[in-house]
Amino acid sequence: MKAAAGIDVGSTTAKCVILRDGELLGKSLNPVGVNIVRDAEEALRLALVDARLDRSEVAFVTGTGYGRYKIAFGQLTVTEISCHARGAHFLFPRTRLVIDIGGQDTKAIRVNERGEVADFAMNDKCAAGTGRFLDVCAGALGYDVAEIGPLSLEARHPVKVTSTCTVFAESEVTSHVSRGKDPKDILAGLHASIANRSLSLLQRVGIEPEVTFTGGVSRNEGMVRALSGRLRMPINVSPLSQYMGAIGAALAGADRLRGGTAS
Amino acid sequence: MVERYYLQLAEAEKAKRPVAYMLVGGNLTEIVRSFGYEVVFPEIVALNCAIKHKSLDNILQAEAQGYGLDVCGYVKNDLGLQSLGGDTPFGHIPKPDLLVCSFSGCYVYIKWWEALAETLGAPLFNFDVPYQRTEKPLKEDVEYMVAQLWDFIHLLEKQTGRSFDMAELKRVLERSRRAEELWVQYLDAGRNVPSPIEAYFEAVFYMFPINVLRGTEEAVRFYETVNQEVKVRLKEGNYPVPEEKVRLVVEGVPPYTNYRTFWDFFRKWGAVSVAATYPKVGGLFDLGFVHDPARPLESIAEYSLGAYVNQSWPLRRELIKKYVHDFQADAVLIHGIKSCRSFTAGQGDLRDWLIHETGTPTLYLESDHEDPRYFAPAQIKNRMDAFFESLEQRKSTAAAGAAAVSGVRVS
Repeated sequence: MKAAAGIDVGSTTAKCVILRDGELLGKSLNPVGVNIVRDAEEALRLALVDARLDRSEVAFVTGTGYGRYKIAFGQLTVTEISCHARGAHFLFPRTRLVIDIGGQDTKAIRVNERGEVADFAMNDKCAAGTGRFLDVCAGALGYDVAEIGPLSLEARHPVKVTSTCTVFAESEVTSHVSRGKDPKDILAGLHASIANRSLSLLQRVGIEPEVTFTGGVSRNEGMVRALSGRLRMPINVSPLSQYMGAIGAALAGADRLRGGTAS
Repeated sequence: MVERYYLQLAEAEKAKRPVAYMLVGGNLTEIVRSFGYEVVFPEIVALNCAIKHKSLDNILQAEAQGYGLDVCGYVKNDLGLQSLGGDTPFGHIPKPDLLVCSFSGCYVYIKWWEALAETLGAPLFNFDVPYQRTEKPLKEDVEYMVAQLWDFIHLLEKQTGRSFDMAELKRVLERSRRAEELWVQYLDAGRNVPSPIEAYFEAVFYMFPINVLRGTEEAVRFYETVNQEVKVRLKEGNYPVPEEKVRLVVEGVPPYTNYRTFWDFFRKWGAVSVAATYPKVGGLFDLGFVHDPARPLESIAEYSLGAYVNQSWPLRRELIKKYVHDFQADAVLIHGIKSCRSFTAGQGDLRDWLIHETGTPTLYLESDHEDPRYFAPAQIKNRMDAFFESLEQRKSTAAAGAAAVSGVRVS
């Protein structure tokens, strides 16, 4: 059987995954600029290199994410909501709830036993409590975003951060810094504020184990700890969590290749 | 017809015809018209401004006067428009000689009418409509309102110098009743599968006469024509979308600033509204709240009590549940608007109730009816696409399950 590729073009990165018979052959991740078409093509090229495949061996390309309509070389577009549900169910078949925190939005997706979307809720029109929020706050504290998760785990007296507004939180962070608070405690407070906000979104669709955490922010172990603590249950995280949308897209394409029902 | 209405309004000042401003919900058009008034509905003027992409200018003017971001878009459109002189792309809106606040369920509306009274100097009549908390109107509510209607009639007699003519009111009410019956007949066509009507987007266009021109022969003729057209559509198989895939009940005020864009998001998925609550803001005629010449003032009072937004939430949600059942809908789509708490507050709970208590797939979206700054097309489209994808998936899974049972292969 030929391979299927899924390309997830999000607000900050493009991810591509190539699957054949349920086996992941290659993947890629590259930043997104103003030329979405080129970035999506680049994501596919890099994934083909990773898989050591020729383009002709990929029979179906599915686009997802906000940039999906720009993937003109693909045969199908599916929303990232369906794709994250499908991808999470593929890696963790007992998943009933997906929390996806990406660059600009947060999604709570309730899934059924077949990995289909049963209900979903998303954050409001602003980027409050998303990856962008952590980017901005990391910058305000002089850290790279990759550093802040582990640092937050070292907090001894987490501060209370009341705002999840990306703009207001930056000034709140500055105010805590000026009062001499330990940056690790501030970081723990920031992670807790996102967990609280995510919890209310999750409650809207109904919390039911197992919970799988996807999206770029799921790589942040401080966020995993904060969310798991707030939910009072373990949560599934995979090294492939950031690729969940692309995996779901590739699976939808594989369905089509098999001639079955696609998402 | 709409152009003629606005042309007539534009000439009212010159022709020295008295002008009354009124709200749509539970309005008292018949009484006012029987005294020879032209009637302006500032909510409808505002939505016409929004659909013509002119509302933001008026809103910004009102905000410059100090009205906050959270004040209702209808209110700001009207107050901004008044301040800018009253000229719109569809004609000049005359100043009021009388302000009739016919819907008291919204406190912001009362303040809006008070602001108009203060700035324009017109007398204000506040019609106090009790909240509808039982399925049938209570006797004491009706008596309370009829007493107010007599006060209103005496005010109109005083202002116009004309005597109240009950026979004329009954004639107007008879025409209203006929138009109302025809309107209900049109809305009922949504029960057909596939539906020959679009009960939200199309009905919003067609609700103009039932709200604005009620009591005129023109409104009656309009609905006779519409119903003839629906018959032809059914005969010829001419439906709102070529292939009906999803039947929806829609709740909430539409985003007039992006009306076509929003509608296209439905059409792309073959989704058709088969029933909707918003076209009933002027009156729940399908529930029997119709005008009756035999009980003129009582039926006006009952009609006002029965306006959709005057219903309590338990009544509203049961009505939506009934529409889902009676119109064989697959799902409910709720569009909340930032402007209007009286319409929107409670819609989050409605969504949860429909999903968890009735098992109806329901999507909640939010933007605004007047202010284009609150309409985020990419995000709204993304939510709608995901919702319709999941409905499609459920249908195909159900079809595959049914086929497996019957041994039919589904491709």
